[in-house]
Amino acid sequence: MTRTDPEPRIPDPIELDAAEEARLRAAAGLVPARPESGGEYAGFDQVGIPDRPPQTDREREVYSLDEGEMLINMGPQHPSTHGVMRLVVKVRGEIIVDIDPVLGYLHRGIEKLCENATYTTVLTYVDPMDYLSTMHNEHAPAIAFEKLYGIKAPPRAEYIRALVVELNRVFSHGLMMGFLALDMGGLTPILYSFINRDEIVDMLSAISGQRMLFNFFRVGGVNWDTNDEFLSRLGTWRSRVLKNIEMNEDMITGNEIFRSRTIGMGTLTGDQAISLGVTGPNLRASGVPFDVRKAKPYSIYDELEFDVITHEGGDSYSRYLQRIAEIKQSIHLIDQIIDKMPHGPVQAQVPGIIRPRPGRAYGAVESPRGLYSVYAISDGGPTPYRFRMRDPSFISLQALPKLMPGRLVADTMAVMASLDPVMGGVDK
Amino acid sequence: MDFELLLGIGRFLLATTLLLLLTVPTAFIIIQIELKVIASMNLRLGPNRIGPSGMFQSTIHGFKVLAKEDTVPDQADRGTFTLAPWMVYMAAAMSMLVIPFAPGAVAADFNIGIVYFFAVLGLSVVGLLVAGWASYNKYSLLGGLRSAAQMVSYEIPLTLSIVGAVVLAGTLNFSELIAWQRDHGWLLIWQPIGLGIFYIASLAEINRTPFDMIEADSELVAGPFTEYSGMRFGFFFFAEYVALFIMSGILVSLFFGGWLAPWPLPAQLDGFAGTLYGIFWFFLKTYFFIFVAVWLRATLPRVRVDQLMGVAWKVLLPLALVNLFITAIAVVVFDL
Amino acid sequence: MRNLWTDEDTVEFSIPGDRNVEVLGTLRDDPDLAFFMLADAAAVDYGVDAHFEVVYHLFSWKHPGWLRVRARVDRSEPRIRSITDMWEGAMFHEREMYDMMGIVFEGNRDLRRIYMSPDYRSFPLRKDFVLPDDAADSPAAGVNPLERPETWDLSHFREAVAVTFPPSDLRGDAPGEGVEGGDFADSESRPR
Repeated sequence: MTRTDPEPRIPDPIELDAAEEARLRAAAGLVPARPESGGEYAGFDQVGIPDRPPQTDREREVYSLDEGEMLINMGPQHPSTHGVMRLVVKVRGEIIVDIDPVLGYLHRGIEKLCENATYTTVLTYVDPMDYLSTMHNEHAPAIAFEKLYGIKAPPRAEYIRALVVELNRVFSHGLMMGFLALDMGGLTPILYSFINRDEIVDMLSAISGQRMLFNFFRVGGVNWDTNDEFLSRLGTWRSRVLKNIEMNEDMITGNEIFRSRTIGMGTLTGDQAISLGVTGPNLRASGVPFDVRKAKPYSIYDELEFDVITHEGGDSYSRYLQRIAEIKQSIHLIDQIIDKMPHGPVQAQVPGIIRPRPGRAYGAVESPRGLYSVYAISDGGPTPYRFRMRDPSFISLQALPKLMPGRLVADTMAVMASLDPVMGGVDK
Repeated sequence: MDFELLLGIGRFLLATTLLLLLTVPTAFIIIQIELKVIASMNLRLGPNRIGPSGMFQSTIHGFKVLAKEDTVPDQADRGTFTLAPWMVYMAAAMSMLVIPFAPGAVAADFNIGIVYFFAVLGLSVVGLLVAGWASYNKYSLLGGLRSAAQMVSYEIPLTLSIVGAVVLAGTLNFSELIAWQRDHGWLLIWQPIGLGIFYIASLAEINRTPFDMIEADSELVAGPFTEYSGMRFGFFFFAEYVALFIMSGILVSLFFGGWLAPWPLPAQLDGFAGTLYGIFWFFLKTYFFIFVAVWLRATLPRVRVDQLMGVAWKVLLPLALVNLFITAIAVVVFDL
Repeated sequence: MRNLWTDEDTVEFSIPGDRNVEVLGTLRDDPDLAFFMLADAAAVDYGVDAHFEVVYHLFSWKHPGWLRVRARVDRSEPRIRSITDMWEGAMFHEREMYDMMGIVFEGNRDLRRIYMSPDYRSFPLRKDFVLPDDAADSPAAGVNPLERPETWDLSHFREAVAVTFPPSDLRGDAPGEGVEGGDFADSESRPR
């Protein structure tokens, strides 16, 4: 830095008076702070709405107000969960006319970071993307990198991977139940969901050492084998889980208030869902039987017996029921995995810094939110050339502006909770 | 000056002062109950640091609220901004005058006690509207309008539901109503539909779950209370819990026998012991219903605003009218 | 980088960028192909001297494996047609590709930045992107001069640091001034 002044002082913009501010804005090519002629574009009067000309057609459409409409900011700080996201909602009275999600509050530049990290380090960088389904976040890159490197993980490793992945799915779906009720005002189901999650997370911490960002997968297998602590906790949990889930379910599923707020809300038809790119339980609740574990089996899923569950209806209630059914399906899968798990090593022999052959690979897994995939390009060096993650929450969020117009503001949180986005994944 | 008159005034002032003083610990106790009961239903501990097993948590909340900074929005109408919490609190406090704690222990035993009660309770609506308007904040305004609409809608089934009870007992005075219940059995047996409507409408009237949309994330701010902080907000907050106590008290008096003890025990005793006996039973029953309200809060999600209004107008109001109709016919036919 | 190895359960082929709508439309509508689902749309930067690529991954019930369609996009004029007419869910994909790489999607009704703030003027995932601390005068910069202290003209400090106001015609020649031009009307962060 080449400062010569002894005490450079950066003034507060408030010190500029109106004339100077107007001059600076004009010089910068920004429009005046107050329109000379009354425009319909709302950007000048509303706090928090961009005070610059609309850049795109859609932006002009959203931010122009007709008679009786108003822009409300459901700001980045939410009392509801899901993370930091801003929804600019255009309402007429109580009815939503349009929604514009503003993202990027949690953007950490993971894709760029991964271009400068070795392949094993990449597996730690992707953990906090969709932080409620960490194992899936690691599974997809592990598949892609193993394809690039040309190895397969040993069978026991694949079984352990499937086990932890299904455990992760159980607690993630369980949490969705809790969040859905919480967003509607029911205070108790979320705590019951956290009981379930706590038991699973204690179990996973026995096997991986972490409670949330597990860092368990490696290229070529998993890092540690199961141990006594893990197995004993698994047994205890397994004997209690169905009762736990049913206890939580009883409080929510039959509840008349809950039903009247979710049945018929946010209905997504199968075609709409496919066109919007929605995948996962949201898509299956609209009737399309697309499950990556069946459609493009990876790991050991072709050796396990399960059906693809779908629900007709496509509304929030169906999505909720879909997730409960998937919890039960995952528990059934866990039983099969425990039965069939072979002995053997849990990690293939790979060097510390792997240098896969130059090439392209695509690895896709079924995460609790949908199709989670990684597209990796290697140039032969120690770090990936391009590391791209496709996050399902990001794409499912596009359904929100299509589902909400015509509904009440109070339904926004309920419908969003039923789509179950996690902002870490949305913002990467 | 007439000594009787002075005595009467003195007695009245004493009673009202005691009542106002009663509201504060009542609110503290109810808040504490809520914290611990909801925690226990959520399978967690709740506050357990302040005092033995966290008993003084809500008292400390009260002191904290006093210590907070008092912010008034720059463009808000300062006079009405200050007035709004007083109105809500006074509506709650004034309606406490007619609650029958024990035989003879009613602060103001009006002949038209029931009418007075519901009239005064309606003043809190005005307080909420004023709060919403004076805040100079469109979210507060919308929240205030919405909560006012909710409370006004539910007042009608609320008052209609007890007209059946009034017709049966033939009096608008709380003490005489309870005396009727002593002789004829508690009104819950006579007026089950009225009880149901009253209970639901009373929850909606005091903005308790499942009808607490205004405190929810509906527009992600606290409705009409958004701009209030410190002791101003404390008034609203306490008024809500005092209103809960009052509504439970009235519910108990109207339908569950007020200060009367249940069947095998003698319903009422005489003299000072009788007063204590009545107070004990009254508070026991009232706190039971407060517990039920807290239980509902821990368990149920919120009803959406349009569904809430739909229930008031399309379900409760016709039911209340039907109940009144049946009661009136029964009274004439069976010469009750 | 064209003839790299590909994993065995993906079929891939490469097309010039201007045929993307045609090819994807055929893939979707042809009843034998029936690639009804767009699984992923990504952008790859092959280096400062090479081209961009927009990569689509598609899925069909009738074919095992994923299909990868790589559409070449010219680096100096990164434009390609948008597929939001075919799949509405491509909107966020394209916004992200625009935000991170600077590829302009013609026909996209909402091509604005999605992760970075709207006045950001670089494309982070490009290979020649550098953060302002690292690079004094990177050609890709488009960097906000306020992040580079050597460009602060503190003698006119009242005008220099009005936070969001780019001081284009307000100062003389501070060092590093001519890098991306002082003229913000040509900034890259808005689509043309």
